[in-house]
Amino acid sequence: MSALDPRAQDAAQPDTKPGKKKILVPRVENGHETMVEIEVDDAEGSGRPQWGPRDALRLVNHELVRVDAVDKVTGCARYTHDVRLPGMLYARFLGCPIAHAEVTVDVAAAKKVPGVVEARVVRDGEVKFLGQPVAVVAAKTREALEDGLRAIVLGIKPLPFAVTREQSLAANAPEVNRRGNASKPNEEGDPAAVAKAFEGCAAVIEATYEVPIQHHACLETHGAVVDVPTNDSATVYHSTQATYASANEFKGPLKVKEVEVVNEHMGGGFGSKFEAGVEGRVASELARDLKAPIHLMLSRRDEFLCAGNRSGCVQTVKLGGDVQGKLVAMQSSIDRLGGLGGGSHAGLPYIYEVATSVRTMRSVYTHLDANRAMRAPGHPQASFGMESALDELAYALGVDLVEIRKRNVGDVHRRQLDRVAREIGWNEHPHKSKPDLSDATTKVGIGFGLSVWGGGGHPECRVTVEISPDGGVRASVGSQDLGTGVRTYVTAIVAEELGLSMSGVTARIGRTSYGPANASGGSMTSASLAPAVKHAAFNARKAFAESLAKTLKSDASEIVFDVQGVYDARSKRRLAWKDACATLGPAGISATGEWQAHLASNGIHGVQSAKVRVDTRTGKLEVLKMVCMQDCGLVLNRTGARSQIFGGMVQALSYALFEQRVVEPDLGIAMNANFEDYKLAASLEIPEMVAILDDEDTRGVIGVAEATVVPGHSAIANAVHNACGVRLRSLPLNPDKLLLGLAGLKKG
Amino acid sequence: MGDPKRSGVDLSRRGFLKSAGGLAAGGALGESTLAVANSGLLGDGVERLSGEVEIELTLNGAKRKVKVEPRTTLLSALRERVEPSLSGTKEVCDMGSCGACTVHVDQKPAYACLLLAVDCVGKSITTIEGLAKGDELHPVQKAFCEHDALMCGFCTPGFVMALSACLDVEPEATLDELKEACAGNVCRCGTYPHIFEAAVAAQRAKQGAKR
Repeated sequence: MSALDPRAQDAAQPDTKPGKKKILVPRVENGHETMVEIEVDDAEGSGRPQWGPRDALRLVNHELVRVDAVDKVTGCARYTHDVRLPGMLYARFLGCPIAHAEVTVDVAAAKKVPGVVEARVVRDGEVKFLGQPVAVVAAKTREALEDGLRAIVLGIKPLPFAVTREQSLAANAPEVNRRGNASKPNEEGDPAAVAKAFEGCAAVIEATYEVPIQHHACLETHGAVVDVPTNDSATVYHSTQATYASANEFKGPLKVKEVEVVNEHMGGGFGSKFEAGVEGRVASELARDLKAPIHLMLSRRDEFLCAGNRSGCVQTVKLGGDVQGKLVAMQSSIDRLGGLGGGSHAGLPYIYEVATSVRTMRSVYTHLDANRAMRAPGHPQASFGMESALDELAYALGVDLVEIRKRNVGDVHRRQLDRVAREIGWNEHPHKSKPDLSDATTKVGIGFGLSVWGGGGHPECRVTVEISPDGGVRASVGSQDLGTGVRTYVTAIVAEELGLSMSGVTARIGRTSYGPANASGGSMTSASLAPAVKHAAFNARKAFAESLAKTLKSDASEIVFDVQGVYDARSKRRLAWKDACATLGPAGISATGEWQAHLASNGIHGVQSAKVRVDTRTGKLEVLKMVCMQDCGLVLNRTGARSQIFGGMVQALSYALFEQRVVEPDLGIAMNANFEDYKLAASLEIPEMVAILDDEDTRGVIGVAEATVVPGHSAIANAVHNACGVRLRSLPLNPDKLLLGLAGLKKG
Repeated sequence: MGDPKRSGVDLSRRGFLKSAGGLAAGGALGESTLAVANSGLLGDGVERLSGEVEIELTLNGAKRKVKVEPRTTLLSALRERVEPSLSGTKEVCDMGSCGACTVHVDQKPAYACLLLAVDCVGKSITTIEGLAKGDELHPVQKAFCEHDALMCGFCTPGFVMALSACLDVEPEATLDELKEACAGNVCRCGTYPHIFEAAVAAQRAKQGAKR
């Protein structure tokens, strides 16, 4: 299903009615035992797992404490960067300092530095992007490593380069891409029909919107610790979003048949960590050749320059509507700026319904590293173009900013818009269809933005749940946790199914050998994994019930697992969990589960709003409040879901106000490839934030992460205009741009 | 191993210049490190200026011997030179811009990437691994768990150390003061609203414990 078609996503999937039966179960409350009637799955009747009614859930959909929180707050959680193996060598790259060059690499002096074990050329000849790794050093200590990197002699013959769109498109531009510095434009729609439709519009606006290249800025840089391979196998610790798949990438360079990738915890990915990359390949080659474990994590500078980015874009939009604000005609042309990559843009009119539209889109290439997927690839860019243009049209027509949105989207967004508008204080706001053009020096404005994302799951995961005779329960999952709380919801789903507490289940994750697992991309981990976990737990419970039925001379359908243990409704016997487990043979129970389509769904909707304060004397811009409402199907962990929503909003705020890769256009050198000069929003910039989970959504598990990052910056830019009448059409929203805009307003 | 003179490393000025000074940044590095190494930290008047020296650091209440170079940062010493490694302190920016390596030096928060290990001799260093008292978590650690003030967790040790240092000295700290206390820390996952909730909860817990 298209992620961009809100109508398709609004069609709620029918909730399959489970086969249910009612049985009497004893409950102990305040020391008194009473029999209560409960509804349980009729194992014979339904034969498949169900999430069950939400109000009957005990752990899932509740406020859960992460099961690995204590490890993370005590420093015990081991990340790839923290792996220490006997005899391990530290390795790092040296990157090319300019954007385009002919390079010779002399590592002889580096090899002589005490403590340096190896120095190698990674690439010589033509270097095609700023920061491209050209050499690597492996050393016994970090200090020797630094010495070795400094001792490498680079012979650099600068070549003509293009690091900006203008340089790349100039008449005499150097060749960046063999097939041309711009790809052939892809056109959708009928220009003649659109030209005609514009004639009937009550108002038409036209403007160009730009967003810069943004960095993922994962706190843990990319890289791997590769252990020495044996004859046919190897272990690789890898900071990856694709633990299961990345194992294959290491087999070639390690020359082994089996690779176990381990990824217990990872310090962020945001779409940039799907591949082993040059760092994984080189670390493998060094480990193989030097017969020593290699710790190769990118330096912060390398991370900024050669580990991907969110592509920038320049989009020119012409948009027309009727007097009510119904969108009638749209024409847009989009240049994606993804360095050597194609860039990413979700297309226009993005999620809004426009009667007639035409769009051309192309990639413009530069001598910078290729963009990679970054949380909702292409959507924040499209959101900025569309929401800004829509706002400009609303003011031109004199239509309420919420109303114009409601008139051009589906039911779910309309409902969410009403709720978010109430929460941000829109109803009391005096400037609903005109900006505040008064002489006040501090002014407050409100803006909105909408999001969609596909989410949903795939049949990729195989999960194992084991019950041992000593009462222990273990769930094993190959998937990694980017920080969303995978261990926690795996634990909750299994504990829920077996009537246990969170502490009764141990979840093991992040190892190839734990079973096939999906790569964490597209907000699809929970919708792919959770149904498989539920299925494995359901199968384990069924197998356990069958075993107990034999022991107790009962029927499996009469065996109930609840918080007080195991109850046999036929013999009216209750067993403590441990005693029930003790009846199992030494092998215990081992059950596997696979993806269950009926436990997942797809199509995420969200609405965000921002309230800002602008100081017209200084250009200071302060975000006062942000609100987000998000539907995401069955929420597995409400606290964790809110954390993710906040995270998306914060990243969008940071994108709105600060983030921008700066490359000096005349020298082709990096100006802010570090955390001193590449500013991220931090505690003093964080406004009051409200995350509302849309509980009217009754679908199965869908996912949430990406949608939350899509519209926040658009809402902030719109709020700035609402506050003072200055339309900022390029990110980041700097005080200098705002002051220029205010000066322009005064001139009229 | 205890006596640097017998540890077999080259401790002469010449040795230092040979290993580092011949390289691009060696000269600039020299001045500050030489001063530190000359300051008689080891107390025996021997001029030792290069290679590795064994120093004793007080880490989480225990004396730990560790071999470092004069230029080795406290962060590098904790993560790469102490055995077993104290890798809870994270390396993120390595230039004092992100707070991920925050530790307590004599009860004050400090960026371990901006301190030389040799400068920390005689000081009491607490890392994230040493913040809890046995099994009892520090109120900030406890509140971080309860309020989901972490996602990927890579910035978490730094935030916990920054906020605990603030609350240990200022148990009455307001929300604004707590935000200031962690203003030098960066969380890319964007967990801030929950971090603030946790900071306030920890402040209240500390107040409650005092009464």
